[in-house]
Amino acid sequence: MKILDHLEEWLIAFLMGAATLLIFVAVIHRYAAGMPIPVVQDALLRIDLTWAQELCIYMFVWMAKFGAAYGVRTGIHVGVDVMINRLPGNTRKAYVLFGLLAGATFTAIVGTLGATFVWDIAHTDSVSPDLELPKWIAYLCIPLGSYLMCFRFLQVAWAFARTGELPHHDVAHVEGIEAAEDINPYALPDNLHPADVTDGGRK
Amino acid sequence: MSTLVSPVPADAPRWPALIPPVLIAIPVVLKLAGIGIANAWVIFALLFGLMLTGMPISISLGLTVLTYLFTMTTVPIESVALKLFTGIEKFEIMAIPFFILAGNFLTHGGVARRMINFASSMVGHWAGGLGLAGVMACALFAAVSGSSPATVVAIGSIILPAMIKQGFPARFGAGVITTSGALGILIPPSIVMVMYAVATNTSVGALFIAGIVPGLLLATFLGFTTWWLARKNNYPRQPKASWPERWRAFRESVWGLLLVIVVIGGIYTGIFTPTEAAAMSAVYAFFVAVFVYKDMGVAKVPKILLDSANMSAMLLYIITNAVMFSYLMTSEQIPQELAAWMLDKGLGVVAFLLFVNVVLLLAGNVMEPSSIVLIMAPILFPVAMKLGIDPVHFGIMMVVNMEVGMCHPPVGLNLYVASGITKMGITELTIAVWPWLLTMLVFLVIVTYWPGLTLWMPKLLGVIR
Repeated sequence: MKILDHLEEWLIAFLMGAATLLIFVAVIHRYAAGMPIPVVQDALLRIDLTWAQELCIYMFVWMAKFGAAYGVRTGIHVGVDVMINRLPGNTRKAYVLFGLLAGATFTAIVGTLGATFVWDIAHTDSVSPDLELPKWIAYLCIPLGSYLMCFRFLQVAWAFARTGELPHHDVAHVEGIEAAEDINPYALPDNLHPADVTDGGRK
Repeated sequence: MSTLVSPVPADAPRWPALIPPVLIAIPVVLKLAGIGIANAWVIFALLFGLMLTGMPISISLGLTVLTYLFTMTTVPIESVALKLFTGIEKFEIMAIPFFILAGNFLTHGGVARRMINFASSMVGHWAGGLGLAGVMACALFAAVSGSSPATVVAIGSIILPAMIKQGFPARFGAGVITTSGALGILIPPSIVMVMYAVATNTSVGALFIAGIVPGLLLATFLGFTTWWLARKNNYPRQPKASWPERWRAFRESVWGLLLVIVVIGGIYTGIFTPTEAAAMSAVYAFFVAVFVYKDMGVAKVPKILLDSANMSAMLLYIITNAVMFSYLMTSEQIPQELAAWMLDKGLGVVAFLLFVNVVLLLAGNVMEPSSIVLIMAPILFPVAMKLGIDPVHFGIMMVVNMEVGMCHPPVGLNLYVASGITKMGITELTIAVWPWLLTMLVFLVIVTYWPGLTLWMPKLLGVIR
């Protein structure tokens, strides 16, 4: 389980950084190749980076699918919690569980749709326009990411059912600023994330 | 644990729990029973019902579409499923992760301190001193960091204690920072604008350039309110800074501010596309944070990449589902029906814009800006086009509206963050922000009914006709 967690974090952080470098290099290359420096220009013109844009899109699509799963674990997904945060403990607990299970259902359906979709195009020879990568590989992130997200929803739901605690994301974390000690930034109510149900009420 | 909000009593009313099931059940049952009811009502009842249960907005959008498709339409599920896979395959959308990354590199206390020093050396000697500097520092930091709550925390944690030490009432400082922190989504680069551009096929560059004048003007408005209140109450001022001091403060903060220039200049001159500009700004921000400001070491980079990826993925996931939702809207002809209804009732531009503002302000009560823009823009935009409203003007108006929404309860994100750092309750803060909130509302009316203000700059630069 730890390995899966680390793999997920490592993958999305890598995709983020790599995509940034890729576009940076592609832009530099485009302008450098335009400069009339004798040998360098010839060498640069021989390198073709037209596929950079497409690769960047696929990298971010992969990042989005796996990052969304990671987001379930970190509690970053925003919702409308004005009403449920005003409900007494048990009723709210039921709603939060319903929401988590609905998330699991949705991602399971999407994952299955995605798997069928990938299966179908794997039997065609459709490739992406620039990279000429088989399309089914590019779209493999949909079943994989969605099933992982489904698993994360179930994981969070299970933990919540037992302890009444949800993962909390801190929207306002700033490096280099010391938070006041008596404030727990994760416990601030913002009505975009459901509150925990540990004391029968909102903290 | 924070004790800012009292726990919900065990005997709190349980009846609101019935709202979502009833909201979903009535139209669905009517529809299935074959009783005439417009598709729009069924879709919206489903959406609001699911949203109110507190599940993530992205999931409620997706489930609405799936439920509707499985039960009551002939639109083939494959065509919609395809949207789910290809919905975010646009290079323009990829500007969002890059801007988030750039912002995260510069969201640091050290950057905030430099911006505050520069701002207070420039405007600190006027009435309102640090308060005025707070408005300016918020505008600068928000533009660079791209996050309103982070701005409130970064600027607020540094400037509020200083203000209280100088004798400003806590409410005054809290009001200034809460409202000024929202400036970030209007001053480019702005992620909410990219969302609008994606949802409506408007030019990102034109929106960014159009945001400059209203952004600066709103900062001026907020500054004026601060100045006026401070002069009336005779709040303390800072000693006037000399020009060499100002120059030094400027040189310190200019590295961060150049990010805005890289983006706007790059897009305007055509050196970069907006997405490339975003990637360049991320690399630039990394360079400044690690090598120029030295606020953070290279060891911190993986953490920042992970946080940015987390935030971006959440937004991209909403976009994916919102694209699917707006495809459903379009295939069910809902925007067209709304347009026809509006024209039929003889509602003109003035009434429509009023209607839009009211709807968006209401939506601002329960959702955060990105989701509102992604859900509402595809519905309202076709109507606006029919009425001959400029797409860029409409976008800027929506963004200003989102800013107002961030500063009032029950959802105003800035308010909650400010309540955390000032230790003031939400009710007290709501009272504290009202002079600035009122200023923002006045500004909203101006932006709504004076397109020239927004369109002047992009027209001058020839970005739009």
